[in-house]
Amino acid sequence: MATLFVSDLHLDPARPATTALFLDFLARQARQAEACYILGDLFEAWIGDDDDTELGRVVVNALRSLADSGVPVYFLHGNRDFLIGPHFASESGIQLLPETEVIDLYGEPVLLLHGDTLCTDDVDYQAFRAQVRNPVWQARLLEQPLAQRRALAGQLRETSRQALQQKATDITDVNPAAVNQALRAHGVRRMIHGHTHRPAIHEWTLDELPVRRAVLGDWYVQGSVLRCDEAGWCLEPLALSIG
Amino acid sequence: MVNLHTTLGIIGIELDHGKAPATTANFLQYARDGFYEGTLFHRVIPNFMIQGGGLEPGMTQKLTREPIRNEADNGLQNQVGTIAMARTSDPHSATAQFFINVKDNDFLDHRSPTSQGWGYCVFGRVVAGMDVVNTIAKVPTTAKRGHQDVPVDDVMITKVEIIGE
Repeated sequence: MATLFVSDLHLDPARPATTALFLDFLARQARQAEACYILGDLFEAWIGDDDDTELGRVVVNALRSLADSGVPVYFLHGNRDFLIGPHFASESGIQLLPETEVIDLYGEPVLLLHGDTLCTDDVDYQAFRAQVRNPVWQARLLEQPLAQRRALAGQLRETSRQALQQKATDITDVNPAAVNQALRAHGVRRMIHGHTHRPAIHEWTLDELPVRRAVLGDWYVQGSVLRCDEAGWCLEPLALSIG
Repeated sequence: MVNLHTTLGIIGIELDHGKAPATTANFLQYARDGFYEGTLFHRVIPNFMIQGGGLEPGMTQKLTREPIRNEADNGLQNQVGTIAMARTSDPHSATAQFFINVKDNDFLDHRSPTSQGWGYCVFGRVVAGMDVVNTIAKVPTTAKRGHQDVPVDDVMITKVEIIGE
């Protein structure tokens, strides 16, 4: 039995192949797991649990089937779906985690997070994040009509896309000092996150101890799953079906 | 109370019979049988915990009795200096191996009666020799026979002395 980690699916009605791959993952691979963790950016955009969309319904039902089959499903927010709330959680059967969580993974404490807080070189983004993660800002946004929220989400995505094109690639990766600081602050030697779309397992030495950081991949051109069991960690790609 | 004699000093442990009756009885049975004598602290992770009581030098596993029920739902927390039972991912799989927390490890506490949330059963706390525990937590480690975080030089339990039980 293994514990599975995914993130950065960016599910979007415009990319049905990714949705199909994720539904297949939930219905088959994830059923065999001890637990399944989704570390943010499940959706390309989420403007509130009250937004009744076909994609939202399909994903809620698939998550619910997995949870009902006895596999605990945990979710922590990404920078795209930070508005996923308690209603979505109760409908889908997932358990919402705070933005950082230390779990027991086969006798080893492991820090889970989306990863955007580690990109401290991207000062503009961190300022944006501080705004949108503010509960008051979120509450005020959720009071707006759906159409208005949808328009704002579109604007934010466009701004983010343009900003990304202008930023040097090293700015949008994690800051190594921020990574070490997070490991020290939580007193752990292991970390799993997504966000940067740079799937890899990094190992180095911190304070004379071997440390490890797994970065989950995005699901744009293929799926990416981190499989952890007593024997170790393995980052596996999942092929998108063609046609 | 028990005194755990190790090659690096003595660790005094007060057992919580009231909160963890089955676990303390299990531990004392292994202690009385002399099971722990000659076993190692074989998994040592600074800032986390030190684990022992099941393997002999050369990393051979000793034959244990049947696993016990996990009493982690007793309200005791995995705080610095507490002793808890080690186990596999099955909550009710603890036999002889135990660990001593060298940090507050609240993520090991009982949260729900599920395989993910069951947690690790605390059954006592260190009342003397915490310096010995911290010394063990800092010894150099390496990988041996497929095990990670094994002390380079064996840290062994030489005797378990039961006092006034």
